[in-house]
Amino acid sequence: MAESIIEFNNVTFRYESDEEGVTLPPAVSDFSLKIYEGEFVAVLGHNGSGKSTLAKLANGLLLPESGTVTVSGMDTKDEEKDIEIKQTVGVVFQNPDNQIVATIVEEDVAFGPENLGIEPSEIRRRVDDSLKIVGMYKYRRHEPHKLSGGQKQRVAIAGIIAMEPRCIILDEPTAMLDPVGRRDVMKAIKRLNKELNITVVYITHYMEEACEADRIVVMDDARLLMDGTPREVFSNTEKIRSIGLDVPQTCSLAEMLRKDGIRLKNDLLSIDELVENIDDILKG
Amino acid sequence: MIKDITIGQYFPMNSPIHRLDPRTKLLFATVYIVMTFVSNNFVGLLFCFITACIVIAVSKIPVKTVLKGLRPILLIVIITSLLQIAYVKTGIVLVDVWRIKITSGGILMAVFMTVRIALLIVMSTMLTYTTSPTSLTNGLDRIFAPLKKIGIDFHTVTMIMTIALRFIPTLIEEVDKIMNAQKSRGANFDNGNIIKRAKALIPLFIPLLFNSIRRAYELANAMTCRCYNGGKGKTTMNALKMKKGDYFAVIISAAFVAGVILLNIYCGEYNAEFTFNAAV
Repeated sequence: MAESIIEFNNVTFRYESDEEGVTLPPAVSDFSLKIYEGEFVAVLGHNGSGKSTLAKLANGLLLPESGTVTVSGMDTKDEEKDIEIKQTVGVVFQNPDNQIVATIVEEDVAFGPENLGIEPSEIRRRVDDSLKIVGMYKYRRHEPHKLSGGQKQRVAIAGIIAMEPRCIILDEPTAMLDPVGRRDVMKAIKRLNKELNITVVYITHYMEEACEADRIVVMDDARLLMDGTPREVFSNTEKIRSIGLDVPQTCSLAEMLRKDGIRLKNDLLSIDELVENIDDILKG
Repeated sequence: MIKDITIGQYFPMNSPIHRLDPRTKLLFATVYIVMTFVSNNFVGLLFCFITACIVIAVSKIPVKTVLKGLRPILLIVIITSLLQIAYVKTGIVLVDVWRIKITSGGILMAVFMTVRIALLIVMSTMLTYTTSPTSLTNGLDRIFAPLKKIGIDFHTVTMIMTIALRFIPTLIEEVDKIMNAQKSRGANFDNGNIIKRAKALIPLFIPLLFNSIRRAYELANAMTCRCYNGGKGKTTMNALKMKKGDYFAVIISAAFVAGVILLNIYCGEYNAEFTFNAAV
């Protein structure tokens, strides 16, 4: 097994209430999880299940109330390691507009490395490389507000990659995008994982996107509910539905066919697999 | 309506002036503005005017665009002119009806001040027309960096400027969205007297303020994630570098200063009665 990069050990976290004397229920409760180097993990859960809090806990933006979060052995509570932790684990948020700092694309991508005090020539190389990976190199001199949502989000991703992190957490990066933007962002993220071997933690509520991952973690009501490969997780359609989530359309169709007595396999994910399976049955 | 504002606008073009270091341009613009005030006669002002024309010609920015930048100051020019005409009582009396007394000195002074203000505005708009906001803030950042030694952290100021510039288009878009949302709920922004209209803006500004604060939180998080710690040990990708053209521009600035001072000495007396001193 590869080495773990982020470890949550019995983490509990609750937000402070605006009203005095009121304690809110924990956003994350007694949560333990290990993310391994090079993995592509999707985190599923409905609104308020604590998945966004998880992203902020993972790089020390929030500190756990009890339990520990470690990033390649560094405790997020250790203030001296703060910069190193944030450089190791980068976070991309939902709204691209609120993540872009500079008025020109390449200068925004340079923001992270500049803060790290890296040599100008090295920053130049990183900025060019990062923009090429997300396919935004030809827009490097553009103004961010003139780009589409998907393009802006890819610029935000490039801004994180330029810090050369070992892990990227994306908190619903496609929630505000149209289908085209969503596809382009997804493509860029898969490239990061496959070509640069960056660990990806992908928080989403699109089931089709979660299917692309190596592993799916399902959260419900501040706790870890399921943890397994997409096949394992989505074969349990009952449990997924019981917490108010949907299953991919292929799984849903296969389930209905099974109910009608057609003996399909239990772990079908892609359309091709389903078609092949039906074909096999028809041929007898 | 908001889109008409031209202050701080940048016209990307490929001219020798666009390529200059922002610090050189800041230096020249400052020197120029000071010198239009130092200049105390029409010959000196003519010299400033010619210099401005040369700058505009070299920058390749259309004259029409430059003049458009003057429109917002029309009111200020009119008021100053009227004040000059009312207070300067030198030269030949041209009109003397009831309490109104207009003199040639007053009129010349008004023209003098108008030209002076116009030149000042033209050169400051030329600065923003030819320098991108980012490189302008970069230049300011570098110029004021030494202030850190006496405890003034100018980096924070330039960071705020950069973020403000970055979010202006985003917020304009948001105002549009909120306005449409409120209109679809029956809000009326265009009719009624001034108080009614001002009141109509409340449902526009409250959501805008609320959203801006939320944005600020999210941006702060995103900046923290990118290791921002108040500019400590920060480097810059596009480090500013003085080139040949910049040194040339510095020499021109010096020559310009010398020119205005010489014209003040040799032509100053010639027009003494119309000078600024006469006004005081």
